[in-house]
Amino acid sequence: MIRLIRAEFLKLRTTQVWFWLLMATIAVSGLLIVAQIAPSDGVRRADQVPDMFASSSTVDIVVFVLGVLAVTTEFRYQTITPAVLQTPSRWAIVTAKMITYAIVGVIYALVAVVTQLAVAVPWLDAKNVDVEFGNGAVQHSIIGVFAVVALYGIVGLGVGALLRNQIVAVVVGLLFLLVLENVTLAIPGVRHAWPYLPNGASAAIINTGDTHVTDGVYLISTAGGVLVLVLWAVIPAIAGAAFTMNRDIT
Amino acid sequence: MTEPVHASPPTPGRIVVSELTKIFGGKVRAVDRLSFTVEPGSVTGFLGPNGAGKTTTLRMVLGLVRPTAGYATIGGQPYRHLGTPSRFVGAALESSSCHPARTARNHLRIMCVVAGLPEQRADAVLEMVGLRDAAKRKVRGYSMGMRQRLGLAAALLGDPAVLVLDEPANGLDPDGIRWLRGLLRHLANEGRTVLVSSHQLNEVEEVADRVVILNHGKLVQQGSIAELTAGTDRVVVRSPRLDALHAAIAQDGVRIEQVGPDALRVHGLAVEQVGHLSFAAGVELHELTAQRSDLEELFFALTTEAAAETAVQGEPE
Repeated sequence: MIRLIRAEFLKLRTTQVWFWLLMATIAVSGLLIVAQIAPSDGVRRADQVPDMFASSSTVDIVVFVLGVLAVTTEFRYQTITPAVLQTPSRWAIVTAKMITYAIVGVIYALVAVVTQLAVAVPWLDAKNVDVEFGNGAVQHSIIGVFAVVALYGIVGLGVGALLRNQIVAVVVGLLFLLVLENVTLAIPGVRHAWPYLPNGASAAIINTGDTHVTDGVYLISTAGGVLVLVLWAVIPAIAGAAFTMNRDIT
Repeated sequence: MTEPVHASPPTPGRIVVSELTKIFGGKVRAVDRLSFTVEPGSVTGFLGPNGAGKTTTLRMVLGLVRPTAGYATIGGQPYRHLGTPSRFVGAALESSSCHPARTARNHLRIMCVVAGLPEQRADAVLEMVGLRDAAKRKVRGYSMGMRQRLGLAAALLGDPAVLVLDEPANGLDPDGIRWLRGLLRHLANEGRTVLVSSHQLNEVEEVADRVVILNHGKLVQQGSIAELTAGTDRVVVRSPRLDALHAAIAQDGVRIEQVGPDALRVHGLAVEQVGHLSFAAGVELHELTAQRSDLEELFFALTTEAAAETAVQGEPE
């Protein structure tokens, strides 16, 4: 398994996607901080800091895309053939990818958090706003970001394994996460499902304040959010592995 | 091109295919009760026209496609049960199984990591297939022939006792085909099992010790090239007295055709017999040549024959 994980990292490092998505991570997390501090009604009080750092969870989308690509490029370029020839157990291949992309998620989350701290700490200091790292809510936000981003890598793997086609998987995944989930929030009745969708679960994980979302919709607990997001990560990945297990590679 | 160098003598492995059958989508019988064996220390040509079921068979042997019935083993084990398969069986299937943005060397390094091989092994096989100078170029810019060489390099990576190559000569230039033949011969002489498919007989007939011929998913013939061409000898004989010659050699079981103004082709007699009969009859000869039927003709005859049979019987149920 260690060999398979090392091989997955080498696969990621030997193409250029990781670099561009890392640049995207730095740009997005940095811009989100600027957007929150720069306006005249931006972050001015210490109690606004946890929510500000929670914004780096937006890079979950980047790691989601990496996860999707990890599986779909193997099918697109038929590298799945040598991969399965070397490792006939398709469960082993999927497990190695899950572990790898959870670690990749942690690394990207780290980059996002460090970027945000590098921008926010001196800037807020100049505005006389204290960033209290001893504060439980600040710690909760930052740890929550790590958990969310790591799990989104696995969500991406599952979507990739189920859909296989690279473009379809990326488009369907992004439409669901960026558009469809928000649409459900606008529909009465259906909106109560939102806390159990990936974004709702992530919001629950990183939330440190009010759990009220909109008309009668409330976030679930942090632990509940972790559980729901783990299920969103693991079930599609297992279903994808089971599906590819019994499929012929022609 | 340097001669391949291998770290250790390989363990021999026999490939056994038994009653192997694959039905796609419940009706397309791609492979039909196919049985054959491939012995270590020899090159076996796996021949058949396009669509004969060669690739499907090889993919079943390699555990990529699940057989509908029957089984295939390598060294007595199904492929999926081999511990670290790439150190025992090397396979090259389609020539484009690499990420285009990755270099050849990195492609092989990844395989080394999975197989627990030192990364120098990647450089060694790249050298072996003549890609050393292109090792750090992205595969995107590779020609078809270079991709084939990279596929071979990947197959050789684990210094395997068994090699399964699907159409490795596709896209190679004549020089490359000659090189490939030499490599396959060399690998078989080291005691390895080499199974190599082709839809073009001339690509393998010079190097193959044995051939397995497939058509419509069914075995048409298997055996050594010597066995398969025995009994099909023809004699070309030229004489200024064709009528007298014809009379001298005509007998039951002998077929004679005229192939020129002064030439006959005789089926069913050895060259010595034709010489003796014409001498006994006092017929002057200008040429007496044994014309061995080459495998090409056999291959063509067998596959068209199988096709005709299928057409008469209709599709097998």
